[in-house]
Amino acid sequence: MSNSPAQTYLARTFEDDRYAWTREPRVRRRAVVAEVALVVALVAATLVAASTDEEWPTWFFVAWMVGMLGFIPLHSLLNLGIRGVLDRDKRSLDEHQRRLGERSHTAVAWPSTALTFAAWTGAVAVVGLTGHVMLALCLGFLLWFASGLLTYWHLAWTSPEEPADADL
Amino acid sequence: MGRQPKSEADKVHDRIGVLRADRGVSRKELAEAVGVHPQTIGYVERGEYSPSLALALRIARYFELPVEAIFSLDPLPSLSQELLRRTS
Repeated sequence: MSNSPAQTYLARTFEDDRYAWTREPRVRRRAVVAEVALVVALVAATLVAASTDEEWPTWFFVAWMVGMLGFIPLHSLLNLGIRGVLDRDKRSLDEHQRRLGERSHTAVAWPSTALTFAAWTGAVAVVGLTGHVMLALCLGFLLWFASGLLTYWHLAWTSPEEPADADL
Repeated sequence: MGRQPKSEADKVHDRIGVLRADRGVSRKELAEAVGVHPQTIGYVERGEYSPSLALALRIARYFELPVEAIFSLDPLPSLSQELLRRTS
């Protein structure tokens, strides 16, 4: 019986050597910083929009769309940098990769719970203080989304530098 | 499952690099034979990851050596030192 991890299509994509440059710690950490900055900027934009009288300002809609569309390539880059360890079928991971994923899940468990709590309380606070339901939903979504991203950020930031050429 | 060593005393020392060089085996070939990704072999060689018992046994079986000849909780003497000790 083979002990080798199963090579699913998704696993093969994440293991592709064409994306080796994304696995360098410098690239991974820059992707984390960019994602954190994007989420913080969107939260700030939501709060600014909530402080106005308009329910759904045009500038906020544009900022939201740009931010969400920008997130797609950014997160793809970050995910390639961590070989998709958190998204792949467990059967395609070896014991070290599973260990890395579990370590990050454990490390951010409390901050993630705190952010989820902040998502609910923040959304309720925005509705209570301003009456803007849509913006409250946006704020809640962003904070809940960030709570899920914490594991990715932790793994991308802390993953050790990969050993050199496997053919050696 | 294995784990990252938390301290120097927690580290598992190994001779995988030397054995691979001796047998002319690449990390990729060894990884395929024992069912892990090549970078995991690299982490084990660098002492950044302590393999599970199952992985250590598979590596030992691949090299046809007892597991204690490849892995140790104490720093392993070089093979040349070992040879010298046995022949003197």
